[in-house]
Amino acid sequence: MLQLQNDNLLLKKTLTELVATPQLVDRIISDFDYTTFHLSTPEDKSKLLVSITSKSFKDIKQYDAINKLNQTYAEFQTEIVEPGYDYSIYVDLLSVAAKSPEDIELTINEISLLKRNLLAIPFKLAFKSYQEQAIKYDQSGIEPEPSSEIYEINYRDEEAIYIKPSFDRVTVIFSTVFKDETDKIFGKVFLQEFVDARKRAVQNAPQVLYSHKEPPLEVRNLIKYQADDKKGYVTFVLFPRHLTVQKQDNTINHIQLFRNYFHYHIKCSKAYMHSRMRFRVNQYLKVLNRAKPENEEVARKTASGRRFNSA
Amino acid sequence: MSQSLRPYLATVRASLQAALCLQDFSSQLVERHNRPEIEAQKTVEAILNPMMISRNENERILIETSVNSIRLSLKIKQVDDIETILVSKFTRFLMSRAENFFILRRVPVQGYDISFLITNFNTEVLIKEKLVDFIIEFMEDVDKEISEMKLFINARARFIAEAYLTPFD
Repeated sequence: MLQLQNDNLLLKKTLTELVATPQLVDRIISDFDYTTFHLSTPEDKSKLLVSITSKSFKDIKQYDAINKLNQTYAEFQTEIVEPGYDYSIYVDLLSVAAKSPEDIELTINEISLLKRNLLAIPFKLAFKSYQEQAIKYDQSGIEPEPSSEIYEINYRDEEAIYIKPSFDRVTVIFSTVFKDETDKIFGKVFLQEFVDARKRAVQNAPQVLYSHKEPPLEVRNLIKYQADDKKGYVTFVLFPRHLTVQKQDNTINHIQLFRNYFHYHIKCSKAYMHSRMRFRVNQYLKVLNRAKPENEEVARKTASGRRFNSA
Repeated sequence: MSQSLRPYLATVRASLQAALCLQDFSSQLVERHNRPEIEAQKTVEAILNPMMISRNENERILIETSVNSIRLSLKIKQVDDIETILVSKFTRFLMSRAENFFILRRVPVQGYDISFLITNFNTEVLIKEKLVDFIIEFMEDVDKEISEMKLFINARARFIAEAYLTPFD
């Protein structure tokens, strides 16, 4: 599994099962970045309440998140928000089941993308702001003053995403923390390759920059930060080609999962190293065991139990 | 095998063969004790001169000899951060399995990455030549293994980066 998926597989499977045969459930499903889903049937087994809570919600909320999600999930919109959760939709399983098979699949997909859609809100806003500035620039031909507009999403304890729209690009900056020394060094090797990949193979990819300890200059004055040795900042510069209306969704899907993808592959490499070392240690052990003299011939006995005399 | 490695290993082999001339030696300090004198360092007359063989400033071996035991400590080549991490992980992995490697020391001597302790009891049950073979093979292999792992990480990182960036197009 090379790429991570945007939807939540368990949520999707559960929904598919429930649409086929409604039953009483009370299920908690977790996802990346401290996101939790809660599926329950408070009234009736055909009415499913899907709630989501996420660390990033309190930042995204200020971008009119609830209304935006209500637009996406208009069909399932509800007044209630389950206590302890950030957003809820109420799904009538019978009316979903009554749809055509393709529509059922579409609906289920849409619901399992709940986390993705939540995190996509600030990206969409930033892209919109870029488009407005780009049009203005096209008409007037004057470079607009760099604005201090920035979208900040603190989606983990010490890690955040910053999105900064401009008239010719959108900069997405991830701050990331390396828990131990090995992660840090592996991370450096990986990031170096991210930086170089563009020069070598994928010319059309966004530009990737990496800075250690201090945030990049674009955002240094706009965010609160402390110089921290464990922290690194990865900058993606999205160019107009990535921001066209057709490509936007793909770009959002992909860039959202950068941190997860990155750390996931660091862990994978560590696991591989571990199994490789285990193998190598066994080989050394074999070499060392060659030093043991061959088993001396065991004293042979006749059938009646008498020994041969060697002398 | 590179040009400088061959004489290095040949010297180590010859020195080890000479050093592995061990005999039983009861402790002169405590009655009925028998301890590796090189570790105890209490009986001066039982300890012989140590020798250090270096290939370059990053790679060397220290052979400390005594009448009933020798201790050899290896410094493995580490050029950059990744190699340092890999060496420390690898040696830690080995040393936490020291029980199985009856000649491996749990903790390396200061300034070295990994240490072995061979006593006269080891040489009594094991074939001396093969022990030397093991040490030489280990020295030869460990560099190869470390650089292979390093190459692997780089290759993997490159692949991962390209796989991530391609779908943006």
